[in-house]
Amino acid sequence: MTDVPKRLLAFSDLTAIAGVGYTPFTKNSGVSTLTLACRAVLAALEDAGLPVDQVDGLATHRVGDSAPPTLVGPALGLTDLAWHLDQFGGGSVSHAVVGQAALAVATGMAETVVCYRAVNARSEFRMGGTGRGVPVSPEVQYQAPYGYVAPPQQYAMYARAHMLKYGTKAEHFGQLAVTQRANAAKNPRALMRIPITLDDYLASRWIAEPFRLLDCCLETDGACAVVVTTAERARALRRPPVLVSAAAWGGGTTHLSGPGADPTVTAAAALAPRLYAQAGLGPDDIDVAELYDCFTYSVIVQLEDYGFCGKGEGGPYVASGATAAGGPLPVNTHGGFLSEGYVHGMNHIAEAVSQLRGDAGERQVPGAEVALSTAQPGYILPATSALILRRP
Amino acid sequence: MARYRPEPDRDSREWWERVGRREFAVQVCDACGTARFPARAFCARCRTEGAHWREVAPEGTVESWIVNHQPFVPGPREPYVVVMVRLAAVPGCFVYGNWRGRRPPEHGERVTASYTRVDADLTLVDWRPGP
Repeated sequence: MTDVPKRLLAFSDLTAIAGVGYTPFTKNSGVSTLTLACRAVLAALEDAGLPVDQVDGLATHRVGDSAPPTLVGPALGLTDLAWHLDQFGGGSVSHAVVGQAALAVATGMAETVVCYRAVNARSEFRMGGTGRGVPVSPEVQYQAPYGYVAPPQQYAMYARAHMLKYGTKAEHFGQLAVTQRANAAKNPRALMRIPITLDDYLASRWIAEPFRLLDCCLETDGACAVVVTTAERARALRRPPVLVSAAAWGGGTTHLSGPGADPTVTAAAALAPRLYAQAGLGPDDIDVAELYDCFTYSVIVQLEDYGFCGKGEGGPYVASGATAAGGPLPVNTHGGFLSEGYVHGMNHIAEAVSQLRGDAGERQVPGAEVALSTAQPGYILPATSALILRRP
Repeated sequence: MARYRPEPDRDSREWWERVGRREFAVQVCDACGTARFPARAFCARCRTEGAHWREVAPEGTVESWIVNHQPFVPGPREPYVVVMVRLAAVPGCFVYGNWRGRRPPEHGERVTASYTRVDADLTLVDWRPGP
């Protein structure tokens, strides 16, 4: 097992998530991202039973598409934040934001940090070039002129590489979409709750072959927030605390470079051993997994890279029903980005918290004690992040 | 057809100038001889600055491809193919381009660069089947 420094082991379980909050998920919120952020932050504090003036830290991530802590703080009358974070990035860094908040709390830099992500990702700032400029990266110049710039295209490219190398099939992707929709049917927050079949999946229109419409996540307006504080403090609050057992960051190669690059392996493969070692756990200990599902394929490759099945076996693993409710590893119990809504990862963390508190209602995984939640595994931006959360 | 135009930067300008002359060249590290793409100042292997350009065979193998249907960007509305090519001259490096074959690409097949002159100021590297 990976060696873990003692001071990192001391970090494990020192902090906790004490509350979660959401705005409704819609296709047009009709309000600014600043408003969405404030609503989600207040909802998370209400859930935790904490007054707003107890907050001394705010953290978010964004790609020029949302309200930063320097706006949200003053808007909520928080004029003396001890700590804040305005992280650049999309889904790769969602979990890093909560990890960094936990570090700030663990060191005493802050006592109570609210992490949020607020987006009008359907009505204002759509990802992938529709209605906005090309993302700023020097490597875009080698791709965009070919009409290759949007995440569905990039992920479809990697999905096909996986299909070619390992025999992964459209039906495997489809089964994942069907399974997650069945989960969303039990989630009152979910935007898409009408069950689908494999035939519905196969009949959905092409976006970028091999991806169909139902391989792709929703585009959503909404916000989600979680409250990070010390485990000790969280125990005294309204809700059962959920401990941050491990937080890890990862990086890898870019679209274009990196000696020996294998497009079927993500940065998560290198992160996973660090993450598990920090928590003193392994894949077999995970009761429920909320995995970044911008597309069906991203879940399949992460099931492999986080060690739930062998390399190349992600498709058959999903087809076996392993990730469905009642299976050995329920995945994306809220329906994920594919069916609940796309809030860039914070809603995956919030769902993991619900599962571990035992308040996930009809979709509750019985006896869930340990959860894995992950960010975009590092294809688009060569960065990823993940958390292991557990019940005390 | 309107499409995104590359914006050459201080690292990439020479690459685009050479492509404009239908030259396929990559940087080679002065210190350790490692070839790299895309263009940049540092060698990722020996972490030194200093490189020279070397013309290489504009060849590779097909790693993957997509057939795009959704119009994400200005340009073609009809389905088009973007191919991901494992570059022969630079181990572990991928390049992209539109597909200039009359049939769909095949996994692992050998491909060669095909220069597409968009206008007087812009030439792009696409890919066609065969050596």
